[in-house]
Amino acid sequence: MELNAGAGGNGSHKTASERDEVAALESLQFTDEIRRLMSAPGGDNASSFTALLELPAPQAVQLIQSPDSAKLIAAPAPAPAPNVDDFRGSFQFPFNCGLIDRAARFSVFAGDGNINGNNKSNSPEPTSYNSSASLQKPVKNEPAETESSQPLVSDPTVENRSIKRKDREKVKGSSKKSKTSAKESSEDAEKLPYVHVRARRGQATDSHSLAERARREKINARMKLLQDLVPGCSKISGTALVLDEIINHVQSLQRQVEFLSMRLAAVNPRIDFNLDSVFTAESGSLMDSNFSGMVIPMMWPEVQLNGNRQQYPQQLHLDAFQQPVSGREEVCNSYLTPENSLLSYDSSGNSASLHSNQLKMEL
Amino acid sequence: MDLQNMNPSSLKSRFATRFLRALTKINAQKPISSSSSREIFQRYRRIKVAADKSMAYSVRSRRSWSRATLWRLRTRSPRSRLATLARRSSVKTRTTRAASHGATVVDRKSHGKENKEDGGVEAEELRELVPGGEAMDLCNLLDETAHYIKCLTTQVQVMRTIANLYSLH
Repeated sequence: MELNAGAGGNGSHKTASERDEVAALESLQFTDEIRRLMSAPGGDNASSFTALLELPAPQAVQLIQSPDSAKLIAAPAPAPAPNVDDFRGSFQFPFNCGLIDRAARFSVFAGDGNINGNNKSNSPEPTSYNSSASLQKPVKNEPAETESSQPLVSDPTVENRSIKRKDREKVKGSSKKSKTSAKESSEDAEKLPYVHVRARRGQATDSHSLAERARREKINARMKLLQDLVPGCSKISGTALVLDEIINHVQSLQRQVEFLSMRLAAVNPRIDFNLDSVFTAESGSLMDSNFSGMVIPMMWPEVQLNGNRQQYPQQLHLDAFQQPVSGREEVCNSYLTPENSLLSYDSSGNSASLHSNQLKMEL
Repeated sequence: MDLQNMNPSSLKSRFATRFLRALTKINAQKPISSSSSREIFQRYRRIKVAADKSMAYSVRSRRSWSRATLWRLRTRSPRSRLATLARRSSVKTRTTRAASHGATVVDRKSHGKENKEDGGVEAEELRELVPGGEAMDLCNLLDETAHYIKCLTTQVQVMRTIANLYSLH
């Protein structure tokens, strides 16, 4: 059936990061809530809700919006108290632990009857509509959240916007929920494929706080980039610790540069190159094939521009004998020119790369 | 192994080119047979300067930290007294000017105090580490740090490969 196919398909996409998130999630006593929900005697809400969650997000929304939603919600009650594992698999959690916090705190999983109770009391319709109405808003938030988080684990800015949307939800307060649920449903439906920034209700709209918020988000986005850049930093939460890690990394890199330059100063004295060994070493852990190509011309007083690299070793052996004889200055001068010529053969022109300011950033 | 695989204008190749050239120059200047620690120390300093310089030149003036590095290098070496005096008085203005010149989004307000407040102690440390970081607000500082880390990593990679190559024989 559709439901099981959706759950199965999503469950197979589990990655290590998801497992990490799941582990974090468990620490929030999330699964307990889920189990409580699932085993609740008012089983209609729980089972239908979690069954809805098994669906991929847009299908869930469709179900909700369709006039037959009430029927469909009631129907998959037999989808038996779904496993927490299935639930995990289909529920893509956002990277941001703050978002997880808010999600845990916010609506359905809180377990308190506040939200559901309000809706139920305010709308004295038949119970099926009641349950669908009460589920509508929180469920919409979850699929919207999953939808926004799915493409966005790599996109911090839009994720921050979804955080803003959550903020807005929280700010409105539970008392407004019944009035605004209809309005929100239309808004959320529009926004589901992509989360846009909107003017907030109930929040200060003066330019200062907006600018502040935009600035904070820029800073958060850059911190995320830095976290990806620095190894071992993605696990740390909290600005100060991450900055400490970054500082340590920069210091260690600078120290490595110093150490390597010391090493180069000490080792440098012997410039007699044996090209064969260079070639054999190249097949090992050297960084680029291009690199030894650039090292070669250092040893050459004269270079014939060849299209074929195999000819290089023979010429080098011939010239290497002559090298210790020639004076320093001559060798120095001749180092630079063959390197230039070789590289102009090699690349799009050394001078071009030297003077081109329109090179893109390779971040 | 063909040479055309790698992007010839990537940061790595640009830096490697310049650094190798500088290395050969350094090697050619000094007699290689000397191995006294003093000589080695002098050579080490030259090599380090060459490494930083070639990296800064590879980035040109696109980044604030590279501009600051080039400025530092330029005024440090040739002239001593006058240069340091001039540098101390004008380094702040120069770097701020360079920073605001290069960064398009920075408005006047961002140099104010209130934008440097978050990050606190760590941001100060980071400012000391990243060249030219004193005159930047946190947002740009993080940007520069990211690029700086990337360039440092490239530098370390290239230098390590060269050192390995040299020490093979």
